[in-house]
Amino acid sequence: MKNQTKINTFDAIVVGSGISGGWAAKELTEGGLKTLVLERGGDAEFTTSSKHPWEFTHRTHLTKEELAERPIQSSHCNATDKHFYVKDTEHPYIQEKPYKWIRGYQVGGRSITWGRQSYRFSDLDFEANKKDGFGVDWPIRYADLKEWYDYVEDYVGISGSSESIPHLPDGVFLPPIPMNAVEKHLKESIHKEYSDRTLINGRVANLTAYKKGRGQCMYRNLCSRGCPFSGYFSSNSSTLVDAYNSGKLTLRENSIVKEVLYDKETKKAIGVTIIDAITKKEMNYYAKIIFLNASAIATASILLNSVSETFPNGLGNSSLQVGHNLMDHAVNAGTYGTFNGLLDKYYEGRSPGTIYIPRFQNLNPKTENNDFIRGYGIQGKGSRENWESKTTTGIGVSLKAQLQSPGKWKISLGGRGEVLPDYNNKISLEHNNLDQWGLPLVKVHFEYGANEKAMMEHMTKTSEELLKKAGFENVGSYRNNPPPGSTVHEMGTARMGNDPKTSVLNKYNQMHDVKNVFITDGSCMTSSACQNPSLTYMAITARACKFAIDQFKTNQL
Amino acid sequence: MNRRKAIGGILAFAGIGVASVTGFNFFYGTSNRGKLKNYLNLLSEIVDVIIPPTDTPGAKEANVHEYIVAYMESCSSNKEFNSFYNGLHNLQDTCLSNYNTSFENCTKQQKTTVLESLDVTYDATSFLAKVDTKIRGRSFFNILKSLTIEGYCTSELGATKFLAYAPVPASYKAITTLQPNQKAWATK
Ligand SMILES: Cc1cc2nc3c(=O)[nH]c(=O)nc-3n(C[C@H](O)[C@H](O)[C@H](O)COP(=O)(O)OP(=O)(O)OC[C@H]3O[C@@H](n4cnc5c(N)ncnc54)[C@H](O)[C@@H]3O)c2cc1C
Ligand code: SF4
Repeated sequence: MKNQTKINTFDAIVVGSGISGGWAAKELTEGGLKTLVLERGGDAEFTTSSKHPWEFTHRTHLTKEELAERPIQSSHCNATDKHFYVKDTEHPYIQEKPYKWIRGYQVGGRSITWGRQSYRFSDLDFEANKKDGFGVDWPIRYADLKEWYDYVEDYVGISGSSESIPHLPDGVFLPPIPMNAVEKHLKESIHKEYSDRTLINGRVANLTAYKKGRGQCMYRNLCSRGCPFSGYFSSNSSTLVDAYNSGKLTLRENSIVKEVLYDKETKKAIGVTIIDAITKKEMNYYAKIIFLNASAIATASILLNSVSETFPNGLGNSSLQVGHNLMDHAVNAGTYGTFNGLLDKYYEGRSPGTIYIPRFQNLNPKTENNDFIRGYGIQGKGSRENWESKTTTGIGVSLKAQLQSPGKWKISLGGRGEVLPDYNNKISLEHNNLDQWGLPLVKVHFEYGANEKAMMEHMTKTSEELLKKAGFENVGSYRNNPPPGSTVHEMGTARMGNDPKTSVLNKYNQMHDVKNVFITDGSCMTSSACQNPSLTYMAITARACKFAIDQFKTNQL
Repeated sequence: MNRRKAIGGILAFAGIGVASVTGFNFFYGTSNRGKLKNYLNLLSEIVDVIIPPTDTPGAKEANVHEYIVAYMESCSSNKEFNSFYNGLHNLQDTCLSNYNTSFENCTKQQKTTVLESLDVTYDATSFLAKVDTKIRGRSFFNILKSLTIEGYCTSELGATKFLAYAPVPASYKAITTLQPNQKAWATK
């Protein structure tokens, strides 16, 4: 091993401090490993968390300049949380077809801005590839992950209800965030109208009860600005704090990992090269274990950029699968409807929670759907219209009266569908097109297939039908489907599998080709299911860390 | 639509046409962005008719005109800015040709009549409305009214005196019974 010094040598290096990197940092440090976390962004500053609406000069609107800097990210952020999203002009990438790569480069990554929806996968998901032949078989099953889901949920704090739905396993829950009057009404209607569907409280990583070191949610529904009470789970509120408290953590910000260094003698990775984001100087750091948690697209790009004599196509890429099988969830733009009853009911406080209609297609022969394989779930929220959503008439005193009273109830619903793994959906590097740090630009090629399109069509029609049957009026859908990437659930670029010829990682998220490199962000996903994936990244990360620590302690890495 | 027709006879809104009594030229560039500040006074009078003081403050006291100028200067598209800027001039022209005086000097009744004539409320979700907005952008009054509502309801006075504002609710009661005259929450 070359150039090693005490200052830049660690037991483990974690690349990225987002949802999965935060977990790797916590587990590895608590396991006793001296760990370096390398994060390309700077400190996450919660500058807007407690601001009043009138303290924003342009309210939630982005200025023309801010929009020009964020042509892509602006669909997901506004003036209140823009600082947690990259400026596209500073971090360009190439879209062969429209694909939204939504990112936040800061300590905590997108754990600050995520929607906090947290659902387990089940064997319906882990066995799907094997059964219908799309993608390779997962090397794990629900039984391998169950205790890790328990462990992670207990720590994260997921509010939710136990429902005994076999394909959406219950977990370790805090009390659910209750449903409001119109949400309850929709639930009752669905239970009356359909035997195959149910509506449940959304499972969200917001604390409905205190947890060690963290405050309870204050029901402000301002989570995307960062929570001053640590009321929801983020790396910043939890995992990084515990990692720091272990005394084993070193966090280096503004550190863009350029490549993983490989030693062909030992057949192991020996460290990484970083580019300091500010000085643009290169530096090496060394460790026995490397965890890549830069998020699916970024991790794949690091691997593809790590070329050596042994791995001319990128580190650990003997299968030629790195970068391929990119998935996101299929999403329709949404369905809405208004409800003219329950006008004497209201609420106090603002719920950061949601309602959820779990997948109800292709579960068994009875629920078989001829239009597509696999399935989707529907997420939504009900509220009463206020000035933001009311259609008003006239001006003056009559207008004021309309604005001052709560409007009709309304509900909006949005489907989230499983995307099949497809080798043709991929990221690659453009070596003749470099960013300001001299790194090749990422090129994304992604298209929804016929199955996803059929599913999107179906989720829109179904959402409308559910609302109509429940007596909603003005039911309609935005029929412009958002481009892929919009769900921000990119995954699958370095998949797990049993066969090193067709997969990149083994069942412990260890590279088949390079045993001391672990990948536990969305890259590792073998299929996408239709549930929001981050909880699964966390469970997988904790599990892989346990394995890595054991191997480290018995000198096998 | 009907109200507009009814008063259309006496009040012709100078919608199209380059000749204008005030001599303003129609503007299609971007150089006027900075000039909107000169209309703060006019705007403050306009927003106070749209949202007048009652037992709660009006839009003028809530400084809504300043928000509108800030938004139009920094956030609006060129198309939107042009509709808005031209719309303001048309409004003045209308007052001058109908009442021989500027909007600021009109009587309260005249001001209301002029603004009401512009408030063509149509179903903004209808197909035609969407196509119309896509091609022509939001109309002057549509921009004006929605910015006035937004600026007012998110202003300190609007949110706290006119609506119910709870910055840190601390608890969530999912189902409550609406009290008589209970105000809507300012934020979602
Ligand atoms: C608006 C929004 C809503 C969402 N809602 C949900 C939801 O409800 N439920 C759900 O499950 N998921 C949701 N997600 C997705 C969720 O945020 C991601 O799945 C999750 O954050 C991925 O975790 P990660 O660790 O892979 O990546 P991230 O959290 O993105 O963290 C990656 C980190 O790596 C850093 N990094 C990148 N490249 C490098 C490099 N070369 N060197 C060093 N550091 C690097 C980044 O700066 C970042 O901090 C949502 C996302 C958004 C934006
Ligand atoms: S809604 Fe709750 S968790 Fe979200 S920011 Fe507010 S207090 Fe924090």
